[in-house]
Amino acid sequence: MGKPPTTHRIDDLLASINTDLLGDPFTVQDNTIKVERILLEMVRPDPVQPRRVLPESIHFTFHNNRATPTQALRELVQMVQVAARQRGRPFNSVLELMPNSDEDREDEQNVSLTPEEQLLRDLVNLAVTIRDDGQVNPLTVVDASQGVTRLFRIETGERRYWATWLLRDFMPSYTGDGMIPCIVIPQQSSSVFRQAKENTARAGLTAIAMARQAALLLLTVHGCEIPSQAVGNEFYRQALELDLRGKREYTDTILSAMGGIDKARFSHIKGLLQLSDEALELADRHDIDEKKLRYVLPLSQEYHVEIVRQIITFGLSSKQVKELCEGDTEDMNDNDPFDKLPPSAVKMAKVTQSTNTTTPQDLAKAILRQEGNPDIARARLQALKKLLSEAELYLERE
Amino acid sequence: MTRVFVFTNHKGGVGKSTSATNIALGIAGMLRRANASNCRVLLIDTDSQGHASLVTTGKKDYGADDSLYTVLMADRQNAAQTFLNCIVQSTWDENLHVLPASPMLEGAERELMGVAGAPYRLADPLSKIANQYAAVVIDTRPSFSLMTEMGLLASTDAIVPVEPRYLETVGLMSVIQKINDIRDGWRHPALRMSGVLVTKMDNRIRGHNHLLAELQGHPVLGKLMLGVIPANEAVSYAHHQHQSLFNYAPKASASKAYAQVVAALVRYMMKGGA
Repeated sequence: MGKPPTTHRIDDLLASINTDLLGDPFTVQDNTIKVERILLEMVRPDPVQPRRVLPESIHFTFHNNRATPTQALRELVQMVQVAARQRGRPFNSVLELMPNSDEDREDEQNVSLTPEEQLLRDLVNLAVTIRDDGQVNPLTVVDASQGVTRLFRIETGERRYWATWLLRDFMPSYTGDGMIPCIVIPQQSSSVFRQAKENTARAGLTAIAMARQAALLLLTVHGCEIPSQAVGNEFYRQALELDLRGKREYTDTILSAMGGIDKARFSHIKGLLQLSDEALELADRHDIDEKKLRYVLPLSQEYHVEIVRQIITFGLSSKQVKELCEGDTEDMNDNDPFDKLPPSAVKMAKVTQSTNTTTPQDLAKAILRQEGNPDIARARLQALKKLLSEAELYLERE
Repeated sequence: MTRVFVFTNHKGGVGKSTSATNIALGIAGMLRRANASNCRVLLIDTDSQGHASLVTTGKKDYGADDSLYTVLMADRQNAAQTFLNCIVQSTWDENLHVLPASPMLEGAERELMGVAGAPYRLADPLSKIANQYAAVVIDTRPSFSLMTEMGLLASTDAIVPVEPRYLETVGLMSVIQKINDIRDGWRHPALRMSGVLVTKMDNRIRGHNHLLAELQGHPVLGKLMLGVIPANEAVSYAHHQHQSLFNYAPKASASKAYAQVVAALVRYMMKGGA
């Protein structure tokens, strides 16, 4: 069925009525921001939101419409159930993930949870808070409705959205009506900058999410069309060829939206998109810091995921990552003997270039001042003489 | 709060569907003229004859998967989502959305008889999506059946179209009484009797003028008078063409009268139903 006409004949008729009954010009003033209760099914997370809540595989399944919100959450729950069973602490209901005594809490502190377990626990906690105290903080959504399809895209509050679904479909004590309070922003007022500010203002934005955020802002100001479906890393990597210099008028806005960082930090963050896909996913899931990841970038892409895995497994510090990565570089350059020379030798070699500009008297005075004793000064010179003779012999042999 | 107008009368042929469809379109048009950010209007057809659905969508073969019947039969938890899925866009205007009726609604009443919470099977899902619309208009069938009760329980404002004939005006008080019974008996205090709409008025007929004067002079009904729609051939022709009266014959006397009713209702909506 084609788009129905907007009837203009009725407009002319109503115009004459307006003047008589409603006052001319009759306008409806409704510019105020309102909190509306919206049916959960009408709300959808933003597929290009840099801060991803669900694990990547579920994220793509859900956004490619291969799973409903309930199915996506079920997949997460099953994933966590497997991990929990392996640790010998199986659970049937997500409510069992709530620690119910101090003893439990102490136990849990000693166990390192997978990111998925941590995520589910956080969502369950949030769901219980919503159940007990209500949804105090409304979501911010953009009206993305088209025709009869009513749809609201989440700008901020995706965790609360998933927690509400969890509460509705996975917790037996749910008594709500399936609605969620939202602040509705008109489509034309939607802004990636506001979303970025919200993201960076809150804790828990991973370095990889920051990189995606930086890419999204750069792509937006360079006029790239932002798709309305889930996008892979290749989409964000387009930003590697763009920089702030190309759009100087937006530089301050972008840096401010990124949390007031400087250009160098922005560049470092954006650079993380050079990581391989697997490394990006792992680093995002495990919230690895940019200061650690930056040392991985110069390595060949095939090593990225392995290094990231080692960072996670051994909890490496950035200094250790640096040593690991730069050590690798040295190993690769083993054939070059000059790269392994001690700095003192390099310094002395430089001194040999200045013999024409130094007189013997000046050198003697300088050594005397340095050592404070003529005997020691002489001993230093003899040692130097011996060293120089042996170096000369070495050169002759070579 | 979104106002939900129900057009009801247990007498057939008084202009319920004509009034509901044209007024729904008129509200959408007037809000658009006023630059309202939300000028969408939802028309719900609860009459199994499906006349309102036919003229506004050009289609009448709605069935078990895409009509009000689907919503009434849906699992309670999914009813609102089902409701959304069944809404179609009217061919009259992009801002007029329709939840169409189906001949199967006839059987739905029997199927739902005795089911707990059956009278709320329209009100419950509608309450979850009504705020997406500037107004909702419900067309009912010409009887006080379960389906009409459902329409009344889902509404905030009842409007009774009535022809200026003796027997119909006599029955008017019983219609109003029924609306009051629903409000009090089903504990639905939000429902109010908001207007009497005199339809098919012919000034040339002495009896019509006499009854109209009586209605206007009545201490209760006089205050409820929402408008007088003159009898007009253009109405049947517009139906035949599946067009709105406004679009088919904007200069017809009935169009102008409906436009005035629309203006009164929009003003009422803007005042929050006061």
